[in-house]
Amino acid sequence: MSESKEQRIEDSYDAVIIGAGNGGLIAATELAMNGVNILLLEQHNLPGGFASSFVRGRFEFETSLHELYDWGPKSNKGGTRRLLERYELDSEFIEVPEAYRLILTDPNEDLDVVMPFGIDAYLDAIEKEVPGCRDSVSKFFDLARDVDIATSYLGRSKGKPDQEVLLREHSNFLKTAAYSVEAVQDALNIPEKAKSILNAYWLYLGIPASRSNFTLFSSMVYGYILKGAYIPKFRSHDYTTALDNKIREFGGKIEYNTKVEKILVENGKVTGIETSNGDKIKTNHVISNASPTLTYNKLIHPKSEVPEIAYKEINARRHGVSTFVVYLGLDATAEELGLKDYSYFISNNMNTDELYDSLNNLEAPEVQATICLNNAIPDCSPPGTCIVSITTAFLPGSWDDVKPEDYFTIKNKIAEDLISTLEKTTGAPIKEHIEEIEVATPQTIARFTRAYNGVVYGYEPDSWDSIIPRLAMMNDDKHIDGLEFCGGHGKRAHGYSSSLKDGQTAALLTLQDLQKKGELK
Amino acid sequence: MSEEKNKFDITVKSNSRDLFAFTKLVPNRKKRFERASSEPITKDPMNELAVRLHPIRQYLVISEIKDETKSTKTFKLIPDPDSKTKEVAYFRAGQYLSLKVQVNGVLITRPYSISSAPSEALKGYYEITVRKEDQGFLTEFIWDNWKKGTKIESSGPEGYFFYEPLRDLKQIVGIAGGSGITPFRSMAKAIIDGKLDAKLTLMYGSSEEDDIIYYHEFKEMEKSNPSKIKIVHVLSCDAISLEGCEKGFITKEIIEKYCDANSSTFFICGPQIMYNFVEEELKKLNLPVKRIRREAFGEVKDILTHPGFPKEVAEKIYKIKVHIGDMSKEIPAIATESVLVALERANLTPPSKCRSGECGFCRSLLIDGKVYVNPVSDWRKSGDKRFNYFHPCASYPITDLEIIVPRDL
Repeated sequence: MSESKEQRIEDSYDAVIIGAGNGGLIAATELAMNGVNILLLEQHNLPGGFASSFVRGRFEFETSLHELYDWGPKSNKGGTRRLLERYELDSEFIEVPEAYRLILTDPNEDLDVVMPFGIDAYLDAIEKEVPGCRDSVSKFFDLARDVDIATSYLGRSKGKPDQEVLLREHSNFLKTAAYSVEAVQDALNIPEKAKSILNAYWLYLGIPASRSNFTLFSSMVYGYILKGAYIPKFRSHDYTTALDNKIREFGGKIEYNTKVEKILVENGKVTGIETSNGDKIKTNHVISNASPTLTYNKLIHPKSEVPEIAYKEINARRHGVSTFVVYLGLDATAEELGLKDYSYFISNNMNTDELYDSLNNLEAPEVQATICLNNAIPDCSPPGTCIVSITTAFLPGSWDDVKPEDYFTIKNKIAEDLISTLEKTTGAPIKEHIEEIEVATPQTIARFTRAYNGVVYGYEPDSWDSIIPRLAMMNDDKHIDGLEFCGGHGKRAHGYSSSLKDGQTAALLTLQDLQKKGELK
Repeated sequence: MSEEKNKFDITVKSNSRDLFAFTKLVPNRKKRFERASSEPITKDPMNELAVRLHPIRQYLVISEIKDETKSTKTFKLIPDPDSKTKEVAYFRAGQYLSLKVQVNGVLITRPYSISSAPSEALKGYYEITVRKEDQGFLTEFIWDNWKKGTKIESSGPEGYFFYEPLRDLKQIVGIAGGSGITPFRSMAKAIIDGKLDAKLTLMYGSSEEDDIIYYHEFKEMEKSNPSKIKIVHVLSCDAISLEGCEKGFITKEIIEKYCDANSSTFFICGPQIMYNFVEEELKKLNLPVKRIRREAFGEVKDILTHPGFPKEVAEKIYKIKVHIGDMSKEIPAIATESVLVALERANLTPPSKCRSGECGFCRSLLIDGKVYVNPVSDWRKSGDKRFNYFHPCASYPITDLEIIVPRDL
């Protein structure tokens, strides 16, 4: 039809951003703010990727965010907050009341503890629970602070740190960078029970303490405890729509419902893209918010332009977990249900190897991270109701053999088991108050984001592939001229803050390249 | 910065081994990459499952047509063998298909509940049952043109009007009016074939005896499954010859005569006029919100009768400047018709599915002007409201507008 032809986008752009997830949105905003002529393409009809919301009945649910790390109060702003404030974003964020409540269900564990924000308050609470652990846990935080100082030094040095300075001032960072959380915690002689409490956030990175890299994990824990955690007042869709608004204000163009099918490459250089709507767009710069897995295996055209090393890199790494979420709109208040806390980590025990293994069956995993949104935003749902979401994870592959006709039964069974665990551990009568329920599985993730195999987290941040080697090898990991990546599979590993910051890095690298080549109009 | 800190120095293994491990990070990562397989990944099981459960399009063809009543037909739809659709997607009883039909050169969409059972989708077909409306823009076209072999473009199964065992009570009370019975046929069949563990009592309102859809079929289902299926016909006509019918409309009294309202979950599907009546009756029962599920009733047809609508614009025709992709066009829009209809009349093929404000698929950006959004159909996210995104299917122009509409998928 002639109309649909007229609707095609035939222009050329300085840069095209593929995917309006956290990374893609920031990359587009940063470039547009710098006057770069950009086009942001998103296959879904909404911005945000995982950072979204949806409405059912009287409720608007947060899709995936539990809490933003590195936001911080006005008096002590974190990097993520400074980044979004750079764009004067019109979106409000609210502080989460307490760090978390950890409940271990194994009768041998006997642990049910609420942990506060603030390093001193946290140390007091953990010492009370595990007498005698204060010294070793406080060393953990000292190390985490050293890591934090060292990584900001690395950031300032733009990848060219002075070896002398590193050795003299940042030796604690150097000496822990290659080790797992477990190795360092053992070296500090942190008691088992204190480790259990300290590692409650493990699911946010999705790999067990025996492999989870210390640099990354300790930064995360330190960031949360030092600066608190924040969430958007009107769900993540609000700030992602605010970013959409900013991109347009800065002169950028956004097209939803537009799936990129090909990134055209000639002699190792990006020359354009093609979309499912038949658009053929010329550009020398693409920022892919799609994973390298998807980009190299599906998007680069022709296939002969994909270097062998790109496949090897993907195959050497392990894809992170996908998520499973039960969203509940309940017709009772949090208070009536006896849910006092915002964030609940509930698991059998804190043997994270065992918990990780439990993510590999088509059964309810032995771990859940549950949020009661009203305990941070009291009026997030109508009077007399509350919003609870139960999140767990699955390893890629665990859902591979599910048939369409069994799908709804399987997901309901897992959802029911997770709800039962929440009821048993908190005493809250959930089932009888369900007014709205929605269950998202790895399939749902694939459906809405088209992420490879429904994977939510990026590649697993083992020490060998954690942020330090990733950042150090930024240039080695570049294989096609004009192609940058951003997002949860990026240089800073996964998580909202990492993805947002990675978006800015990708934009700045692209901007640098545009300037160097004199391509800016 | 460094003077006051570093009260202690960490040693994980030994000072030199710890530093050495750091220096080996990059070489080790390189080595791991070099040693890995260079095979491309070709399988993506979750995206494959997503496409099977939620295809963006299903290319179907009519394989059979059955007359249900003088004004109602059931169409059996199977995958179009000439297309890439090889199976029909599985669904949950109560869901709908958004059909895309070209009527006199204009592409429009309409949601139709699937009236066949989910298990029948596994056998390769759907059924939809359509009632011919007086001056129905689409249904008149369907009556004249849909024949065995006609190709139909459809969405995947959509909507939230289905029984959810974690939420709903085992006793379903269906309240249906006219062609609103169609999703209940699917539910009844699913109950009978054991896929849905529930019981259904259906209160079905019709205006004439010969307007009753599936009369004999439901009688049969009731007879062979008396403990699970029960149907009560409520007829608003004067002369009733059928046995065991109720006369009038579906009132609180009739509902209570056949059901224990407090231990049931209500599912309502029918024309707007029925909702208006039944909602008032259900209010008297004082049920919790969660016990009443409503199917979205499609586009509001008489927006003028809604109290919030500014009556003074009723006769007005406004201009909408529409941007879709690289195209910009000015189109006329009648104040009492939704922005979506104006877009369709101009043949701009906007995206749409539910036509009730609920699914958000037509979500567009209002750059300039004002729209009236019917509060009953306002399912927008809070962020969308703050940043002037709106759902054209549930919004009416009350000034000239400038809007950005996404292209259809």
